Amino acid sequence: MSEGGISARGVRRAFGNVVALQHIDLDAPAGAVTALVGPNGSGKTTLLLVLATLLAPDAGHVRVAGFDPVRQARAVRARTGWMPDVFGTWGTLTCREVLRVVTDTHRMPRARAEARIDDLLGLVHLDDLADRPTQVLSRGQKQRLGLARALVHDPQVVLLDEPASGLDPRSRVELRGIVRDLATAGKAVVVSSHVLSELDEMADRAVIVAEGCTIAVETLDEVAERPRTWRVRALDEQSLVAALDARGIPYGEGDRYGREIEIASDVEAAEVLNALVSDGVPVVAFHPAGGVLERTYLALTEDRR
Amino acid sequence: MTWRLSVRGVRTVAGLELRQRVRSTRWIAVLTIWAVLLGLLTTLIRVAVHLAADIDAIAPGVGGGEAAAGDNVGDQIGRLMFGLIAFLVLSLGTLVAPALSATSINGDRTAGILAPLQTTLLSAAEIAVGKLVAAWTTALALLLTASPFILWTYLEGGTSPLRLLVTLGVLALTLLVVCAIGLGWSSVASRTSSSTVLTYLTIAVLGPGLPILFALCLPTVQQEETVRVRQLVPAGLYLPADSAPRCVESREQLSRTHTERIWWVLAPSPYVVVADAAPRPGDEDTALSGWDPLTLIRDGVREARLGPAEVEDRCGDVATTTRPDGGEDTARERREERNALSAVWPYGLAANLLLGLGFTVTAITRLRAPIRRLPRGVRIG
Ligand SMILES: Nc1ncnc2c1ncn2[C@@H]1O[C@H](COP(=O)(O)OP(=O)(O)OP(=O)(O)O)[C@@H](O)[C@H]1O
Ligand SMILES: [Mg+2]
Repeated sequence: MSEGGISARGVRRAFGNVVALQHIDLDAPAGAVTALVGPNGSGKTTLLLVLATLLAPDAGHVRVAGFDPVRQARAVRARTGWMPDVFGTWGTLTCREVLRVVTDTHRMPRARAEARIDDLLGLVHLDDLADRPTQVLSRGQKQRLGLARALVHDPQVVLLDEPASGLDPRSRVELRGIVRDLATAGKAVVVSSHVLSELDEMADRAVIVAEGCTIAVETLDEVAERPRTWRVRALDEQSLVAALDARGIPYGEGDRYGREIEIASDVEAAEVLNALVSDGVPVVAFHPAGGVLERTYLALTEDRR
Repeated sequence: MTWRLSVRGVRTVAGLELRQRVRSTRWIAVLTIWAVLLGLLTTLIRVAVHLAADIDAIAPGVGGGEAAAGDNVGDQIGRLMFGLIAFLVLSLGTLVAPALSATSINGDRTAGILAPLQTTLLSAAEIAVGKLVAAWTTALALLLTASPFILWTYLEGGTSPLRLLVTLGVLALTLLVVCAIGLGWSSVASRTSSSTVLTYLTIAVLGPGLPILFALCLPTVQQEETVRVRQLVPAGLYLPADSAPRCVESREQLSRTHTERIWWVLAPSPYVVVADAAPRPGDEDTALSGWDPLTLIRDGVREARLGPAEVEDRCGDVATTTRPDGGEDTARERREERNALSAVWPYGLAANLLLGLGFTVTAITRLRAPIRRLPRGVRIG
């Protein structure tokens, strides 16, 4: 595991008799986005609190940017940006002042801090609200300010707890861009979220947790090599069914979104599409049904509900 | 790491807190109400004191007493007013100060703004001390607003500049201690209402609580003992009818209260500290040089510290002229003994400051992250 990232082994944490983390293994390499997914109450927030040096684990081995969050908390804090799930802010301070406080707490020199604050306000599109008190901000705007706050000191490790909640569609797209840029810049990014389709588009890896245990680690590129369901829709339903029958490809019930077919890999999917088109079927849509992550996630957590 | 304290860190936290407070409360309104209230009370006290003094002037010797001879009545009135106002500011200050700090940590925790501070490079000590400095600064603003009225009573006369300075200093330090108590409780209790109640309770124990405790403890230090007693023998019974009454000494079994064993219970009470710290006015020799509250409490506490006199003197001043032993004045001796005692207030103030330090240290340890043991029902983040 590279020095800049996160590595956690066998992390355990209980609150009284509630065991929030039972046995968590998590690796988040630098330069990649690691998604943290799991049902409500599975321990995602608790794990991020451990990584953010707020909670001490009962057991386990944790390294964040190469340091121990318990014994070298200061070193970890200097290199980690954390965006909490519930965003609290000093209500009467303006956005700019909130960020300035954070630069002060990180002992950034004034001139560099001001430049950084301007950059970040631009990045999260709060420049026109920069001098408004934060208590008047909408939930999504607060969320964006929270993201900026986590990034103020240009951290090596970025922990985002449900960053997309409350964001409008455009902000979500922009968030995705920001997160991808962070990874490109060599940061280790951990994102917890329940919106799996979104993670599909920004994460490189996914760590799936349930009931305080890591139950799977997926690399999203690998998932493409697995069988999954695709959805195909044609202008002419009859000719689609006929072509599928002729080629012996099993298909499910049809609806206005088309038909679902099982395909073993992406390579095979390309072949099926090619065959359908050459058969003269007027295909208008051909895409995986449900996200890559969603399928894995649902399969893995099936027995839990 | 936890205990690291830098000026910059403390200033950052204090600045943040103060800005929040100044903007979120109608600060000017609060100070105005505070000033108007104090002004009103000062005026009332002034009127009342002068009315009482006028009545005394008609029947001399009731209030002014013998002191009126050497000491001027105006000075006494000034001292009385000064003492009353000092206690008023102390009472109101300890009433208001908890509101400044008693919710500062658990309130931030519920608002979700504590954890983001803890994940920065600020140490736990910087966060706690920064919050304390902010609360104290606000309390000092209240004291500053009150100072014109204190100054007014000072200008009424009778109070030495040293007494003014010491009183103001002790008031400021007492407010610091109160702020620290609030801070400590706010770090211990998870709910803001509990920490506020606990802070008020602690202050109630310190202020009126300790003197009450002292009174309740008095029976435990009562003791039967044989002491020398000086008694007045009136003329006519054992003495010739034309002779003056005489003071004779005998031994008697008496029940006496040894307050010198428990006087220290009184010492940490802020009222005692303020009163005892205020230097005694002028003439040390006059028996009744003070009937202002500061001097009364000061003499009372020192009297308690001395305990019962070695010789029980029941002859009083009447006998001084005709003492069998030729002019031994026990009352005067007693006064000298009392004045020779070292001051009580350094102990009281030290105890208070230690208490404040204890609460601050508690707050710092409670702000330490990563947290191992979370209080039940607290969620961070
Ligand atoms: N301070 C606490 N005291 C007691 N139990 C807690 C505490 N914090 C978390 N828990 C419990 O630990 C478990 C994990 O909680 P956590 O907040 O980490 O879940 P999560 O995965 O973030 O859930 P969600 O998806 O809803 O955000 C839950 O069962 C929760 O009730
Ligand atoms: Mg959560």
